[in-house]
Amino acid sequence: MKNKQTLFNKLTNPKYIMVYATIGIFLIIYAFGAFVYGDKGFTTVRTFVNLFIDNAYFGISAVGMTMVLITGGIDLSVGAVASLTGMFIAYGTSVLGLHPLTCIAAALVMGVSLGLLMGWVIHYLNVPAFITTLTGMFFARGVCSLISRESIDIHHPFFDALASWKIYLMRYADGHWVRIKPIAFINFNVILFLVMIAIGTFILQKTRFGRNIYAIGGNEQSASLMGLPVGRTKVLVYGFNGLCSVLAGISYALYVKSGWNLSLQGGELEVITCAVIGGTLLTGGVGYMIGTLFGVLLKSIIPALITFNGNLLSWWGKIATGLLLLLFICIQRFVVTSSSGRK
Amino acid sequence: MKKKNFDLSGLMQSKVTWAVIAEALILLVCFLIRPDFFSISYQPSTGMLYGSLIDIVNRSAEITIIAMGMTLVIALGGTDLSVGALVAVAGAIALKFLRWDVLTYNTPGDYSVCPYILVLTVPLIVCALMGLFNGFLVAKGGIQPIIATLILMVCGRGVAQILTDGKQFTTGYSPFRIIGQGSFLYLPMPIIITIVVVIAVALFTRRTAFGAFVESVGVNASASRLSGIKADTVILIVFMITGLLSGIAGLIYSSRIMSNDSNNAGLNFEMDAILAVVIGGTNMAGGRFSLAGTVVGSLIIRTIVTFVYYFGIVAEATMAFKALIIAVVIVLQSEPVRKYFAKRATLKAARLGGQAA
Amino acid sequence: MPEKNILEMKDITMQFPGVKALDGVNFSLREGEIHSLLGENGAGKSTLIKCLTGVNYMDSGKIFLDGKEIAPSNPGEAIECGISTVFQEVNLCPNLSVAENIFVGRQPMKHGQIDWREINKRASELMSRFHLDIDVTRPLSYYSTAIQQMTSIARAVDIKAKILILDEPTSSLDENEVQLLFNVMRELKAGGMGIIFITHFLDQIYAVSDRMTILRNGHLIGTYNIDELTKFELVTKMVGKDMDVIFNLKRADVAPDSKIMLNAEHIGDGRINDISVTLKKGELIGFAGLLGSGRTETAEMLFGASKIATGEIFLDGEKINLNRPFDAIKVRIAFCPEDRKRDGIIGDLSIRENIMLAVQSRKGFMKPMTRQEQTDLANKYIKLLGIATPDCEKKAGELSGGNQQKVILARWMAAQPKVLILDEPTRGIDIGAKAEIQRLMLEMCGEGVSVIFISSELDEIIRCSNRIVIMRDRAKVAEVDGSSCTQQDILKIIAEGAA
Repeated sequence: MKNKQTLFNKLTNPKYIMVYATIGIFLIIYAFGAFVYGDKGFTTVRTFVNLFIDNAYFGISAVGMTMVLITGGIDLSVGAVASLTGMFIAYGTSVLGLHPLTCIAAALVMGVSLGLLMGWVIHYLNVPAFITTLTGMFFARGVCSLISRESIDIHHPFFDALASWKIYLMRYADGHWVRIKPIAFINFNVILFLVMIAIGTFILQKTRFGRNIYAIGGNEQSASLMGLPVGRTKVLVYGFNGLCSVLAGISYALYVKSGWNLSLQGGELEVITCAVIGGTLLTGGVGYMIGTLFGVLLKSIIPALITFNGNLLSWWGKIATGLLLLLFICIQRFVVTSSSGRK
Repeated sequence: MKKKNFDLSGLMQSKVTWAVIAEALILLVCFLIRPDFFSISYQPSTGMLYGSLIDIVNRSAEITIIAMGMTLVIALGGTDLSVGALVAVAGAIALKFLRWDVLTYNTPGDYSVCPYILVLTVPLIVCALMGLFNGFLVAKGGIQPIIATLILMVCGRGVAQILTDGKQFTTGYSPFRIIGQGSFLYLPMPIIITIVVVIAVALFTRRTAFGAFVESVGVNASASRLSGIKADTVILIVFMITGLLSGIAGLIYSSRIMSNDSNNAGLNFEMDAILAVVIGGTNMAGGRFSLAGTVVGSLIIRTIVTFVYYFGIVAEATMAFKALIIAVVIVLQSEPVRKYFAKRATLKAARLGGQAA
Repeated sequence: MPEKNILEMKDITMQFPGVKALDGVNFSLREGEIHSLLGENGAGKSTLIKCLTGVNYMDSGKIFLDGKEIAPSNPGEAIECGISTVFQEVNLCPNLSVAENIFVGRQPMKHGQIDWREINKRASELMSRFHLDIDVTRPLSYYSTAIQQMTSIARAVDIKAKILILDEPTSSLDENEVQLLFNVMRELKAGGMGIIFITHFLDQIYAVSDRMTILRNGHLIGTYNIDELTKFELVTKMVGKDMDVIFNLKRADVAPDSKIMLNAEHIGDGRINDISVTLKKGELIGFAGLLGSGRTETAEMLFGASKIATGEIFLDGEKINLNRPFDAIKVRIAFCPEDRKRDGIIGDLSIRENIMLAVQSRKGFMKPMTRQEQTDLANKYIKLLGIATPDCEKKAGELSGGNQQKVILARWMAAQPKVLILDEPTRGIDIGAKAEIQRLMLEMCGEGVSVIFISSELDEIIRCSNRIVIMRDRAKVAEVDGSSCTQQDILKIIAEGAA
C-alpha cells in the first residue's frame, strides 16, 4: 500500500505547519536571548520557569479562548470575568469574611452561567459573538465596580498558603538532593496552567465534543447537515471558556493577592494574541493546545528580553508583539493559500 | 416619487426603528424621573448652550465621528479594532508638535512650538496613513480585517508612547483649546465638527456611487470585482477614511484634556464605535449600512452614560447599566425576535383586514 | 425481490414565500431498490429531500419509515432514524482529515477516548473500496473535488442507514468513478437498502435505477418503472411542454466581410498557454470541452480576471492591456461568470443595483447615476428580459435561478458591450428560461455584439454557434464550423483530441 502511516508522514502533515512555526520562532528568540544575555542568566532554569509563573493566568484563559476561536467565534469578556472573580474572592474574604473556596464556588457559578448565556444568545438569537461578548465584558466590568472601586487586598490563611505553596526544583549532587541555583520553583498557578493545557488537549483531540468544535469551525452549515449537535456544542464551548476565565481570575488573584475592578483591562486581547501567535486561525477550524502553550511562552519571552536588556522601555514590548502578530499573520496567509490551492 | 405604502411589518423588521424606539424610551424615562432633563439654558459668559441633551451630543462626538468610518468598515464585512489606538497616536503627535520644547521648559503656556497648521495636519495625515496600512493588509494581503487591525491596536499605543517618550505633555495653547472646548453658533465645537463629518460622509457615500460600491463589495466581493468595481481601492479608501476620522476624534479628545494620554486616550473606543454601528442597524456580516442609524446608536450609548451620571448612580456602575440596556436592544433587534414581531404585526393586519371585509 | 415499502411520504406540502415548492407530493421507496427522483431545477426534488432529512419543516404531510411516523426536525434526528444523505453541494468540513470527515459525530471510542487508529484504518478501507488509495489523515481541503465528493459518499454509505439519499453525487466524478459508485450502490441495494438517487444525467438513471418519480413545479407527475418510459417520453414529462420552442432558434448570420472584433494571439497565463481566437462582429463562437479543459480560463484572460503573461489581445484592431475586469469593461468587454452565486449575483442588493453595477463601475463612483436613471434602466431590462418580479427593489437573492441569470445578463446588456462572454449561462435553470437566454444571446448577435458562449451542453452550442472552438486538456485542439458539424464530431474530438 502506498498509503503508509509512517511517523514521517504524520509529522509532515500540512495541518501542523503553524505549530512548527510558533515553536521555531520561540526557539529562535530564545536562542537570540541566550546568545546576547546568556551571561546575565537568561539561559537559567529560573528564567524559563518564570515565563510560566508570570503568565499562567493568560495561559489558563487561552485554553478556553483557543476552543472558542476554533469554533469561529470570539470572547471579549474573559478579562472582565477574571477580574470579577478576583473581586469576588477579595470582597468575600476581606469584607464579608467568607472562606475563599465559597467565593470561588460563587465565581464559578457566575462565570460558567454567563458563558452559557452568551453562547445561547450567540447561537439561538443569532447575535454576532463580538457584540454579545462585548456586552458581557461591559456587564462584568460594571459589576466589578459596583462591588468596589478600590483595590482590596486578600488576606486569608488558606489563600495565603495556596499562593505561597511551591515546589523547588532539585538536582542530585554529592549523594543528596539540593535546590538548583539560582533557585527555581513551580507554584500552584503553573500546575493549573499545565493541567488545563492537558485537559484542553484531551478534549480537543480525544473526545467527540472536541472534534465537533473543529467541525463547526470548518463549516458550521456542513456540521449541522452531518447531524452534529451544533447549538449544544457552541453553548458548552462558551460555558467552558467562562470556566477558564474564572480559573484565570483565581490564578491572577493568587499572583497579585488582591482584587481590583480595573485589573486585566485589555486582557482579552492579550489572550487572543497568544492564541493567534500559537497558530489558531481567527476564521475558525484550526488550532492546537500545544501551539497555544508556545504562543503564551512566545508572547511572554518579549517582556523578559526587555527586562534583561534593561535600557529599553516597556512599550517596545507592545511594538514587538505587534510585529510578531504581523509575522504570524503573513505566515498563516502563506500557508492557507499554498495548501488550499492544490487541486 | 411614488407614494410609499405604510408597511408595518417592514418597519417592525427594520433595526433602525428599534434603535429610535430605544432612544426615545430611555429619554422618556429620563424625563419622567427628572422633568428638567430636557431643559437647555444659555450661558452668556461662554456663549454656549448648556443642558443634558447638549451634553449627550457633545460627549458622543468622538464615538459618532469614528463610528461614521466604522459603519463603512462593517458594511464591507470587517471591523477596525485600531481606532482607539489611533486616537492616542493623534493626541501624542499633536502634543509633540505643540510642546517640542518640553524638555527645556516645563510650564505649559499659551504658545505652540511648531506652526499650528502642522499641529492639526500631521496627526491627521499619520492616522490616515495608518488606516491605509490596515487597508493595505486587508485589500492586498487578503487578511481578515479583524486580525489586520489587531496589529495596530496592539502596537499603536506603543508608537504613541515612543513619540512622547512615555510622558504626558500638557499645553495651554488657546487655538488648540477651541477644538474641544470652544463654541460656534451657541453650540460646543465638537458638535459642529460632528455635524460636518456626518454630512461629509453622508454626501460622499450617498451622493456618489461609493456607498453602493461599499455595500456591493460587502455582500459579494468576488462578484463586485467581476462587475468592474475596483474592490481593493474601495477597501483602501474606507480604511483610510476611518483612520482619518480617528485622527479627528483624537484631536478633539486631546483638546478636551489639553494633554495627551497614550494609555487611556481612546480606550475602548473601538468597542463603543462597533456597538454604535450594530445598534444602529448595520449588519456585522456586511452589506446595507445606515449612517443615520449609527448616529442614533452612538447617542443611545452616550445617553445611557449621561443618564447614569445624572441620576447619581455610582459612576463606575455605568458599564453594568450600559450592558443591560444594550443587551435589551440587541435581543430586540436579533433576527428571531424581529421575525416574531413582524409575523405578529402581519397577523394583526390580516385580522383587521378580515374584519373590515 | 420483496415489494415492501420502507419509506412513504404522503401529501407533502411546503410553502416558500410566494411559491408552493411542493404541493401534495406522494413518494414511496421500497426495500432494496434504487429510485431516481427527476425534475427540472426548481421542480422540488431538493426541497423534498430537505423535508425528509429535517433541514426544512414541511407545512403539511406525513412521513412513514418502516410503517412508523417520523418527523425529523434536524439532520441529526434524520440520521438517527436511519436516513443518510449526500447533499448536493459537498457538505463536509475542509479543515478535518478525510478519515475524520467520514466518522465525525460517531467516532469509534476506546477507553473513553477517540480511537484514531481505528478511524484511520476503517477510512482507508472504505476509500479503497472506491479504489482511492490516499492518505486519509490529510485535511480534506488538500484533495480534489472528486475525492471530496467520494468522501461524502463514503460517510453516507458507512452510516449503514435504511435509506441512502444521493443528491447529484456524480456531478464532479469522472466515468470510472461513476462506475465505482454504481457498483457500491448495487451492493448496498442487494443488502436491502433503499436508495434515492437524484441526477441530471439521463444515462445514469437508466444505468442504475429500478424506478423513477418525476416532479414538475412542485407537483407529482408520476412514478414509473424504468422500462416504462423512453428517454424522450421522460424528458417530455419533465419539461411538460413542447420542446420545439427551443429548436426554432435561428443561428445568427454573419456577413463574410464582417470586421474582426476581437483577436487574441497566443495568450497564456501560466495555467493555460498559447490560445488564439478571433471573433467577428456579430458572430457567436461556442467553446466546447469538458469541465477543466481550459474554457473558463480562456474567458477569464479575455476579461482581465486573470492577467495574461504571454501573447496579445486586440479589440477592434487596437491592442488592449487587461490588468483587471475594470479595464475590460472600459473597452466594452463583458463577462457572465460560471458560478452565478459566488461571482455573479449580489444577493442582498436590489435588482436595480445589480443591473446598474457594471454601468456605474465603468463611470467610476464619482459620477453617480441618479436614482431615476437607475430605476429606468432597471425597469427597461426587467421588461425586456421578462424578469419575474413585482418591482426593481426586490432583493436579487430572492429571485429564482433563471431570473437571477437574467439579472446578470441585464447588467451586461446595460453596459452595451462589444464582446460578451457567457460562461455556462444556462446551467441550473429550467428549460423555458434556457430557451429565452439563448434567444436573447442570438438577438444580441443580430445587433452586432460578438458573443463567446461556453457550455457543457453540446446540443445548445451546436444550435447557436457560427463557429465552435473545441478545448481539451488546457489547449485549443480544433475549430469547426457550427452549421456543418454534429454532436458526434465534437465528442470525437473532445475524446480523442485529433481534429
